[in-house]
Amino acid sequence: MKKRIVLLDGGMGTELIRRGFPQGECPELWNVEKPEVVEAIHRSYFDAGSDVVLTNSFGGSRIKVSAHGLEKRCYELNHAAAQIAKEVKKENEFVAGSMGPTGKFLRPQGEYSEEEFEEAYAEQAKGLADGGVDFLLIETQYDLREAFCALRGARRVCDLPVFVTMTYNHVPRGFFTLMGNSVAQCVKELEKNGVPVLGSNCTLNSEEMADLVKIMRGLTSLPLIAQANAGKPSLSTDGKVSYSQGPEDYIRFIPRIIENGANLIGGCCGTDPEYIRKMAEIIKIGKN
Amino acid sequence: MFDEINVKEKGEIMSKEELLAGMAKAVIEGNKEEAVALAKEAIAEKMDLNEVIEKGYVPGIQVAGKLWEEGEYFLPELVTSAECMKAAMGALRPELEKAHIDVKSAGKIVIGTIEGDIHDIGKNLVASILSANGFDVVDLGADVKLEKFIEKAEEEKVDLICLSALLTTTMIGQRKLIEMLKARNFLGRFAVMVGGAPVSQKWADDIGADGYAENALTAVQAAKNLLKKMKKG
Repeated sequence: MKKRIVLLDGGMGTELIRRGFPQGECPELWNVEKPEVVEAIHRSYFDAGSDVVLTNSFGGSRIKVSAHGLEKRCYELNHAAAQIAKEVKKENEFVAGSMGPTGKFLRPQGEYSEEEFEEAYAEQAKGLADGGVDFLLIETQYDLREAFCALRGARRVCDLPVFVTMTYNHVPRGFFTLMGNSVAQCVKELEKNGVPVLGSNCTLNSEEMADLVKIMRGLTSLPLIAQANAGKPSLSTDGKVSYSQGPEDYIRFIPRIIENGANLIGGCCGTDPEYIRKMAEIIKIGKN
Repeated sequence: MFDEINVKEKGEIMSKEELLAGMAKAVIEGNKEEAVALAKEAIAEKMDLNEVIEKGYVPGIQVAGKLWEEGEYFLPELVTSAECMKAAMGALRPELEKAHIDVKSAGKIVIGTIEGDIHDIGKNLVASILSANGFDVVDLGADVKLEKFIEKAEEEKVDLICLSALLTTTMIGQRKLIEMLKARNFLGRFAVMVGGAPVSQKWADDIGADGYAENALTAVQAAKNLLKKMKKG
């Protein structure tokens, strides 16, 4: 893994929607109700060149699925997510168990205690681990405290490696999470707590991500993950969704993301297998 | 600008200016106890409570908002400042009612995230900042049926309906609601403001929304402008 850039996958939500998923419902439910669709998406990413795919479990924590009235099915939905991806992977292909944020806040901004967050993530991690993922990826975290709740929850129930990506906004003073965690604070504290691979995903486009990777690289020698959005989405009046960065524009900054020190790259919102295929070409060129 | 102000020891009488500056400072720093204590002091000193709000607390929340826009403050600080504002207003309210002082409401608003969308971080922030800026806010929460927005808007006689959407498919609900209002001849009775990460000014224009706000701070100005326009019209 250390020898070359590892290629992750791209967006899951947008791919589900393209295949008829009614937005607003619980995407994790399709792990049970339409596993063939989720499987087809994983396969399309492996075919495009991904070394690793992320399970369809981004919103699979108990807190998130309970918004859809599915709190009793948390374990089941995550277990199914892992199994689908595991069935698809071939030799030298890997499955990461995706664990996205709860969408809620810890006290005092929100109603939850750290113990409640930890418990919600532990249940999800157990489902993913039992379902057979190779490692866990706690992703898109906007609060470092929440990321640590997830980390503790995951470590409590399994021995798998746990990676963490934070999501940063580009504000006038630099890159910060929604809650105001700086890049340095996140990188240093995650490293101190033994996270073996860390990085950033979502929110930023690929150009901004390249700048962020440079900052992260200056702070750690750990392997870094970078998964940028395809810019920002917009909706035309006839209901068509498009992202501000098409594949060509997005790809332009991939070499810079790699040069600046990313080791595991992939896409996020708005990216699809076409983006990944183009990234695979770049990585291959880089090898020669 | 507020650093040099030292709130005096208890027992000492502060000048009006000192009190007002102290109120702003309490809101900026998110010091709820101080914000409430100063509100009580203002009542005891028989200060003009409208002035207390307008020149004491409101400038505080405005500075907090500015610091947020500049990237000095983040969500926790902004929410805490808004809560201080709310606490201070809560302390003033009984006295205002007793004295039959009509606090000028900036306007009445119904707000929520559209059905099919459970995301409410942005919406909550907008609701809280609008409320801190003197709007009377009815928050319907997340995953709200379009019909419910109209029902509540009528029932509560609001001026403005604010629709939040994080998903591109629930954004379509923003257009649908405007069509529903049109079909019922309600356009002009309620103004409609839209927001959410994928929402843009262009989208707002395309669907005929009255207003758009990129963030919680611009929402305050946009809402004020809209209501001004409505009153003129």
